Amino acid sequence: MKDYKLEVWVTAICFIIVAITGGFFSSFVVILNELFFNQVPTPEGLVAFYGENMFVVKEHLTVMGFPLHYFLLILFSWIGVTIIGAIWCVIMDRLEERQRA
Amino acid sequence: MEPRGEVFVLGLVLSIIVLVISVLISIWARRFTRTLGDYYVAGRSIGAINNGLAMVSLALSLTTFIGLTALIIEGVYIAVAVYASFTAAFIGLMILAAPYLRRHKSFTTMAFISERYGSKTLRYISVIVMMIVSVLYLAGNLKGIGIVFFFLLGVPEIVGIVVGGLVVTLYVTLGGMYGVTYNQTFQTIVLLFCLMFPVAIVLRALGATGWYFPPLGYGDMVPQIIEAVPHYFWPMLVHPVVYIAIFLGSFFGIIGLPHFVMRFFTVRDAKEARWSTVLCVFLVGLVNTTVYATGFAAVYYMQTQGVDIPSAAFDYMVFILVEALAGQGWLALAVAGSVAAGLSTVAGLLMIMGAGLIHDLYGELRPEVDDEKKLKLSYAAMLIVGVLVILFSLNPPEFILVAIMWSFGIAAAGLGVPIVLGIWWKRTNKYGVAAGMIVGTLISLYGWIMIDLVGMNPVDIPFPIFAPYFYGPLGFIKVTAIAIPLSFILTVVVSWLTPPPGEELQRQVDEMHGWTDVDPKRYNSKGLPIVVIVFSVFVMWFMTTLYDVFPK
Repeated sequence: MKDYKLEVWVTAICFIIVAITGGFFSSFVVILNELFFNQVPTPEGLVAFYGENMFVVKEHLTVMGFPLHYFLLILFSWIGVTIIGAIWCVIMDRLEERQRA
Repeated sequence: MEPRGEVFVLGLVLSIIVLVISVLISIWARRFTRTLGDYYVAGRSIGAINNGLAMVSLALSLTTFIGLTALIIEGVYIAVAVYASFTAAFIGLMILAAPYLRRHKSFTTMAFISERYGSKTLRYISVIVMMIVSVLYLAGNLKGIGIVFFFLLGVPEIVGIVVGGLVVTLYVTLGGMYGVTYNQTFQTIVLLFCLMFPVAIVLRALGATGWYFPPLGYGDMVPQIIEAVPHYFWPMLVHPVVYIAIFLGSFFGIIGLPHFVMRFFTVRDAKEARWSTVLCVFLVGLVNTTVYATGFAAVYYMQTQGVDIPSAAFDYMVFILVEALAGQGWLALAVAGSVAAGLSTVAGLLMIMGAGLIHDLYGELRPEVDDEKKLKLSYAAMLIVGVLVILFSLNPPEFILVAIMWSFGIAAAGLGVPIVLGIWWKRTNKYGVAAGMIVGTLISLYGWIMIDLVGMNPVDIPFPIFAPYFYGPLGFIKVTAIAIPLSFILTVVVSWLTPPPGEELQRQVDEMHGWTDVDPKRYNSKGLPIVVIVFSVFVMWFMTTLYDVFPK
């Protein structure tokens, strides 16, 4: 039962992380916008709230020249999920060896 | 983009070389095919690296070259969401399904559903869903090959569809799964080479300092893009429903798409299935980020060099940029790469359609037929399916990317849900699965039936609360965000209200997870179905908050 619980919990946690980085992360930005813009964000509304330079040209919010949120989304959903997948594989490989033993 | 008035000889020669090598590989691989198992699942002998590379070529269909760049140029953030969901979905496929499907030892998705739930009827229903999904996906890609031939090689579109279709049909028929696998591996290598190098040359020509690594090589171009298009990197101004539809369609669609799932039946064991997916997701991410670099390079090129490219040509931006900034030699490579991308996806789909018709349909209706005869029939079926699809592709859906995203949604609601629940919840039974599959698939088709078949105006479709789903970004494909949660809810609730599956069927779940003993408590808790229902109801409630801001 211990190995079963390990399998289920590791899988659940990995799936949640991958789902967040690969899908919902993008919509969170929009949901936050909605809180500020009474459900319908518009370019004019965004300019009024954040200013013309939102997300982009503030120096501390860029990585290698990229806007931070964009850079993180690209990297999380590529390198991030690859690493999470590899970690899951290592754990499942060990679990499989224990099952065989 | 204006079609070429003359034949682009170098591009045509390289494309023909790709086609000829593909057929030769299949002729070589034919020597390995002796049994039905060899023909459909390559004798379950494929290693992780080979399978991972083959999966990459399946994943990177012609939309990689045609379609995605237009999405990036026109609507950055939604394109990023598509990329992020599609890439991460492979890990979702791995941790929810891949190694477990391999241990089940089925030949196809349809066989898995039928054997896991002990129902022949479910096998027939899943064959129908598989055919709908595959034809949509396949026609889009075959049409794409025709477009490449027409616009880039100066050869009539119909010639491209017929020649490309016949070559794929030939090598799938000849080589079976061995031929398809080795061809897909070859095509992935061609695709990686033919995309990465030309894009690197384009970035160098535009002055990007990190040109040698295209995925992140354009960072120093961002300030100029912002200067020219201030809102370019802003979050896309659409309702989260659009993202949720993309997320659900990608994550569960990839589990439901039978040509992806079939790859896991070909590997040696569950461990190889796992690691092949890790390799696949890394390479898919590498190629997708390179395509994004191309999209940004295109915006930069148009804004800083004053080049006016009509929006109708955005689909071909990879080729336009390569021709303008890298030259004809690199363009020929990119064209050959796109032909390889189209062929590999078409091959995988033909394989699953042939297997579905002979193994899952004919084999069930005529169980007395021996394997040798089935093998001969498989050759014939593959040939007939190939020719029929070529004929269908002469008049396919208009927009490749939309057709493919739609097929993801149908696959998710119709096939992905029963696969996931069949692996993780023993209590799932045939009644629940039948309800979820049928309703999920019909809802996915609802918008298309009402708009394209019945000819209704999207705003007049019954159930006005969902009217906003039928226009605006992604059109009726957004209905995916209703179909998938509803399929989950129906499967769980109906399974709960009807008798549990027999012990023999429940035992399969333990075996799929690698256990040698059987424990009724494993994968049988109430936690999973409750979480699934709560989450699905929440998503469906959230769908009703879709506001009406899209142009009708």
